[in-house]
Amino acid sequence: MRYSIASLIVPGLGQFLQGRRARGLGLFGLIAVMLGLIAWAVAPPSTFSESTINFKGDPSNWMWLVVPAIVWVWAVWDAAAPPPAWSAWIVTLASLILFYSLGWEASGLDPAALTKNFERAQLVLRPMLRPDFIQPRAEHHEGWIELIVPCGETPAEGAHTINDTTLTLSAGCTAVGDTLTVNGSGFWPDTDAQLVWQSPIGDFFPLRDEANQFRSILVDSQGNTSASFVVPNAIPPGIDPTLPQEQRLYVQQSRPLGGYELSTNGAFVVQGIYQTVALALMATTLGTLFAIPVSFLAARNLMSANPITLAVYVTVRTLLNIVRSIESLIIAVVFVVFVGLGPFAGMLALAVHTVAALAKLYSEVIEGIDPGPIEAMQATGANWLQVVRYGVVPQIVPPFTAFTIYRWDINVRSSTIVGLVGGGGIGFFLVQWINLSDFRAVSASFIAILVVVMAMDFVSARVRERLH
Amino acid sequence: MLEIQHLHKVYPNGTVALTDVNFTVNDGEFLVVIGLSGSGKSTLLRCINRLIEPTQGKIIWDGVDITAASGADMRRIRRQIGMVFQQFNLVKRSSVITNVLAGRLGYANPWASLLGMWPKEERDRALRALNRVGIADKASARADALSGGQQQRVGIARALMQEPKLILADEPVASLDPVLSHSILQYLEQLNRDEKITAVCSLHFLDLVHRYATRVIALKDGKVVFEGLPQEIDRARFKEIYGEEAVEVRAGMAA
Amino acid sequence: MNTTRRPALPSSLRTTLIALGVIAAYVIAWRGSQVDFPRLFRALATNEKGRELLGDFMTPDIVARDIAPVTLQLPLPVPCGSAPEGEVAASGPRLAPSVACAELREKFTVEGFDLAPNTELQLRWRLPSDQYFPGPFIATDADGHFSAEFEARPIVATKDGVPSKIEVELLVPVGNPKPSPAVYEVLDAIVITIFMALMATTAAVIIAAPLSFLAASNITKHGPMGAAMYYLTRTFFSVFRSYEPIILAMLFAFWVGFGAFAGVIALAIITIASLGKLYSEAVEHIDPGPMEALTATGANRIQVILYGVIPQIVPDFLSFTIYHWDINVRISTIIGYVGGGGIGYYLAQMINTSQNNKAGTAIWAIVIVVWAMDFLSAEIRKRLT
Repeated sequence: MRYSIASLIVPGLGQFLQGRRARGLGLFGLIAVMLGLIAWAVAPPSTFSESTINFKGDPSNWMWLVVPAIVWVWAVWDAAAPPPAWSAWIVTLASLILFYSLGWEASGLDPAALTKNFERAQLVLRPMLRPDFIQPRAEHHEGWIELIVPCGETPAEGAHTINDTTLTLSAGCTAVGDTLTVNGSGFWPDTDAQLVWQSPIGDFFPLRDEANQFRSILVDSQGNTSASFVVPNAIPPGIDPTLPQEQRLYVQQSRPLGGYELSTNGAFVVQGIYQTVALALMATTLGTLFAIPVSFLAARNLMSANPITLAVYVTVRTLLNIVRSIESLIIAVVFVVFVGLGPFAGMLALAVHTVAALAKLYSEVIEGIDPGPIEAMQATGANWLQVVRYGVVPQIVPPFTAFTIYRWDINVRSSTIVGLVGGGGIGFFLVQWINLSDFRAVSASFIAILVVVMAMDFVSARVRERLH
Repeated sequence: MLEIQHLHKVYPNGTVALTDVNFTVNDGEFLVVIGLSGSGKSTLLRCINRLIEPTQGKIIWDGVDITAASGADMRRIRRQIGMVFQQFNLVKRSSVITNVLAGRLGYANPWASLLGMWPKEERDRALRALNRVGIADKASARADALSGGQQQRVGIARALMQEPKLILADEPVASLDPVLSHSILQYLEQLNRDEKITAVCSLHFLDLVHRYATRVIALKDGKVVFEGLPQEIDRARFKEIYGEEAVEVRAGMAA
Repeated sequence: MNTTRRPALPSSLRTTLIALGVIAAYVIAWRGSQVDFPRLFRALATNEKGRELLGDFMTPDIVARDIAPVTLQLPLPVPCGSAPEGEVAASGPRLAPSVACAELREKFTVEGFDLAPNTELQLRWRLPSDQYFPGPFIATDADGHFSAEFEARPIVATKDGVPSKIEVELLVPVGNPKPSPAVYEVLDAIVITIFMALMATTAAVIIAAPLSFLAASNITKHGPMGAAMYYLTRTFFSVFRSYEPIILAMLFAFWVGFGAFAGVIALAIITIASLGKLYSEAVEHIDPGPMEALTATGANRIQVILYGVIPQIVPDFLSFTIYHWDINVRISTIIGYVGGGGIGYYLAQMINTSQNNKAGTAIWAIVIVVWAMDFLSAEIRKRLT
């Protein structure tokens, strides 16, 4: 009876006094978390959440108080006598409903969006089926000619010779929408050519015909060609369209050389992956080198001898815990400001995080070493260095190595993303391609990441096998 | 009556485990199978309830051809055949009573058993079975909290739940020390004597064979090399079965 | 690597080759990651922007006080004796003229003490008519002190025994310190973050648990259909385990829109792969004995899995799940950095708009939550085993 009253006053207190401490603490914690969440749900939204979650601040959230009330009643019941099994199920179910309902709202789950926006997904997925990594090898041949649009005081020459090609236009200047004729000679015979326009600010875009297909023209067996085309409106917004501007018509040919070569984006993928692996390797190595001495400072059994070393231990431990909690991506933000964009910043961020993570694992190894062999060495009259060499090192090297390899696996993955904030590696290119919606390049980098991560996993698995 | 006719077993990797094994077990017998490790004892026992598919031959039990039974029929046959294992084969993280109840799965309502619901009579039956093997007080303990001998008693209780007509015991005492071996085999002997449950048991130690068997079969390289009464196994027979270098180890001596 | 497989190679040559390979790898990696330590040290010593950023991160925006205008006044009779003189306070923010009263056209200085440091203020006269007469603009120094020249012009003369007063209006924090708006914003963001991890982990467990049986060789690998399922799920697991969730989140943001949901989907997919692999290994390592024993009792296949397999794997499954929930909280702190949602999104917003104190608040919140989750999950897992 008195345990029930205790649990009525503070949920779980009765159980705690009965000696069922875990259950008492659990009940108390559960109700505390629930009340906190309900308070959060009822409180008005802050500037951050007002646009993303709409249930916050709604007074109807008070109804959730039913759930902690049920748990509380159950706690009182449980303190008096063991309640039947079904009642525990009800409590569990009610708690789950509370957590998952609030969770559903808070994390903005909207499965309908998956089907509703399916066309958008297709826009992403379809280009991803054709990764932009390699392209057929080809050689190119082109000529160009200048013209002024619209006409000004000095029209262009009307003829231009470059790369053994000569192009002539029916007029040196014209207006948008006019039809002109271009004649060319010196092109590769019997190879189709493309008409490409260069705008005043240097953008290229292929001319299209009425069917919106790229404009392709025939070149005869003497290498001569002739075509008429409509002058496109290539003046970018913000520029006075009545001002005469220099523009260019390109006539481009290409023919396959056989075989394949890296595309422009493919070359970036290779560069990004190279940086990724390089910075993962450097970060793991640096991290390990620094983590070893730090881990000795963070080992309780070595540092509890006197108050000064104990203070060092506590400080080092706290610092490690803080740094370990911050993802390397966030650390990279700081290093990018310090040393600028590039893999060096990402490497430093990964290295700092690695020091924190490894030093903790290492120090636990040191704390767990068997004092027996050390005692035995000392008994043989070995000096301090010998004791370390034969009593300590053999005990810690295998677990240290295992943890380092484990960290290496993590760093390879992390190094693919430090670039998102400018830390170099494939992530640097990836985030830009995603922003430009160049999903063919995104797809190429996905494949590259997959290959590299799996290869590195394979290597570390082999190394691990050998060590055992 | 259990009849084994021309039983062959060849494993997919080519290992010949049994070659033309023939014998008969009469109801109420305590048949002991002896032989070296790898002589085919385990394979033979597992062929009887088709945990291992025989390659060839027939196993006829009470006039039914076990080798020809299909899925549901096979399960109906299996539930009448209890089995006790060398490694006990308990779910170590489940409670003792759950392990014992699991012996009743072949009889239980499949849906209720999926939800873990067991009628009271089944629970009572499980407690009676545990009582029989003397560990009713351990019913709610986790199986891995029990000693080896106790675990094997749980294994016997599980077999009892099936209300079997036949018990197959595959080296039931090989993982136990000699004193416990006797107590476990005494339980089996009791069941065999009092409940008329036929027992087919493989054993290692010759003195146990002499003490418990009503009849003995010896296997060597997958062939039956001896069939007869336990008293018939003398020194010469023993060497024949176990090889020239073998020394007869008595369970009692090892203690 | 190939050289190590040839037994004919003498060990000294082998060692040399391996050493050369390692050195080459490091040379390439050194160049690839553009290592430049002198630059780092120079930057640490001289890069003001970086130090400012770090300083802001270290001093999170946590407390705020309401600001209220407070007027400091000091009566100054002109001419002397026309009205009672004002009394200069001994401490606190105060104005202290060099004279207690002034004759017409007399020049004197006014000093201010213990005002807000480094702020611009305007001094003024409040005339007997209660109107303002503007005085000089002044700026306080780092100690909150200023000194300004005044002249007693006729307009400030005492009228009807009421003296003019020298006045300055200060913006003073008043009331008790209270949590700043950033605290509420970060609280919202961090609750959302924890829920993102919860939802993703739950969804992943529901999907990964059945899939893991397909990827366990001892359960599935029977017959060509089974083998196909086995390799299919295995491949799915290893492919998606290779990616960081944040990358997938950016893609899903295209699909379902910018926000927490994209992050939850990405996180769930990676967790399915990662948990599925751990689960399937747990299933592969179960003791086959109980399955055999239950089959021998005549139980059907589902009963065998339910009574022979599940009880063996539940503790491992639970332990892996809690471990992953811990990891997922960690990941969800950054998953919103580019895909939107949770504390990561808040952090990105604050850093991009140079509100670095607020970013500092977010970072400290992350530290506390990740730390707490780490501790909780370790405690729970300790109890499970």
